[in-house]
Amino acid sequence: MITVLNIIITGLIMGGIYALISMGLSLQYGVAKILNVSHGEFIMIAAMLTWVFVGLGIHPLLALVLCCPFTFCVGFLLHITIFRWLNINSGTAAAYESNAMLLCFGLYFIFSNIAMQIWGSNPVGFQFMEKSVNLGGAIIAVNKIIVLIIALAVSILFYLFLSHSRLGKSIRAASQDPVAAGMLGMNIKKIMAICFGIGAVLAGIAGTLISMYSQVNTGMGMGYTMIALIVVVLGGMGSIPGSMIGGMILGFVGSIFGYIEPSLSMVAYYLIILVLLLVKPKGLMGR
Amino acid sequence: MKILEGKGVSKSFGGLKAVSDVEFYVEEGEILGLIGPNGAGKTTFFNLLSGALPMDSGTVLFGGQKISGLKPNQICRAGMGRTFQAAKNFPGMAVYGNVMMGALFGKPGRSASEAEQITDEVLDFVGLTEYKDKMVTDIPLSAQKQLEVARALATRPKLLLLDEVMAGLNPTEVEDAMKLILRIRDSGITVIMIEHVMRAIMTICDRILVLHHGAKIAEGTPQEISTSKTVIEIYLGES
Ligand SMILES: Nc1ncnc2c1ncn2[C@@H]1O[C@H](COP(=O)(O)OP(=O)(O)OP(=O)(O)O)[C@@H](O)[C@H]1O
Ligand SMILES: [Mg+2]
Repeated sequence: MITVLNIIITGLIMGGIYALISMGLSLQYGVAKILNVSHGEFIMIAAMLTWVFVGLGIHPLLALVLCCPFTFCVGFLLHITIFRWLNINSGTAAAYESNAMLLCFGLYFIFSNIAMQIWGSNPVGFQFMEKSVNLGGAIIAVNKIIVLIIALAVSILFYLFLSHSRLGKSIRAASQDPVAAGMLGMNIKKIMAICFGIGAVLAGIAGTLISMYSQVNTGMGMGYTMIALIVVVLGGMGSIPGSMIGGMILGFVGSIFGYIEPSLSMVAYYLIILVLLLVKPKGLMGR
Repeated sequence: MKILEGKGVSKSFGGLKAVSDVEFYVEEGEILGLIGPNGAGKTTFFNLLSGALPMDSGTVLFGGQKISGLKPNQICRAGMGRTFQAAKNFPGMAVYGNVMMGALFGKPGRSASEAEQITDEVLDFVGLTEYKDKMVTDIPLSAQKQLEVARALATRPKLLLLDEVMAGLNPTEVEDAMKLILRIRDSGITVIMIEHVMRAIMTICDRILVLHHGAKIAEGTPQEISTSKTVIEIYLGES
């Protein structure tokens, strides 16, 4: 019983993190049409930055806030410079999509190598609310509970932002039909750049949260990129609710296998994808 | 007064001249028909006017201001609305939400309550109120066509481009669509309409422009066009 509770709580935490990073990737792909294989590097950079900030005496929660404008600007600026240039020079939409993915591979190498030069490749970490509490028998560190609450709060806020704010509505319209959206007065290029920036912010928040309860290192990014890719396929390309649900499912699977045999988690993830693609090729929430 | 005029408007796709050196004008308050056989370049012409595609050469003035080279959102905000031949709606939103997008973003600085009011008015004007909570995939074709028009109207345009809004409709529905277009014109909006339904074109258009292989081959009143030798030859040659 206590084991089950432990698995559930761990599943929720992993699921919350996976949902965050997958929503970010989904937004970047669904609206900006960029399959960002350097997504995990934004997670890594924010995680490492948080560690640096904490070393300077800044509280981790303040570091979380500080990382957001930083990751947004990096994403936004990358989009209005090299991605726009690439778009103009790619000719067709299909060519742009594949070129953009290649560019992201380049970004992956650049970001991870620069980070490695600066910080090396050893795991680093800091202490943050490490006391444990007893939740109905399950012993859970307070930092994990805080991470879970923040991850869920950010997911819900993000969802409300998309469904209720003016900008959020234009993002949804642009993801469903950019040409029609443009003809109704929406500035598609600006929306795409903002989406790429928001995707980076969501990755960055996840990175900071991860650093709050575990050690981080400069090579951590790609693993998370793979997970985000799996979740986005699982949830349905470009579907934000799909990413939330898919992230939760994968988090629980990860949690269960983490208990049985951690080295099988990745295999389990791919099996789920395989089965899902056979049953519902467009993903859980795909249209 | 001319609300829209253009010179030398051209667009090629590889070696294919889809629109070739078209000179045209649209009088404020009129309904201009745009006809021509399949593949004549009519939709491409709309794409050039609305900024959906960049033109290779040529200039277009809208209300005296140069709009060629502007982005679609800028042209929309200058007062041009359009519909799409293959309906381009937002499938994840209800009918109301679709129209709301035009109302919210069609002009800068519209408040949510203003946009809601415009949406209600437009839904009522085109006769879509009964479908407003339905998802766009659940409504009949005629309503989907009306939705295209409603969404463009919600931007509050001065000029409306309609791309085959009658395609696939039955005779009664065509009749309704004709009445709707006349009411749109009477509300002060200039209309350019692409249509293959000749009866509709001949009945409600003030003037007609004929495209063939991307070039303008005739221009005139419905009377003149229906008796023009060149036009008759093209259409007979086609079928
Ligand atoms: N984006 C594009 N890329 C390449 N060729 C195109 C593109 N858009 C249109 N064409 C070609 O340009 C020509 C004109 O097409 P267009 O759609 O403008 O014709 P149309 O007059 O609207 O025809 P219809 O009455 O069938 O709608 C066609 O030969 C078409 O195949
Ligand atoms: Mg056409």
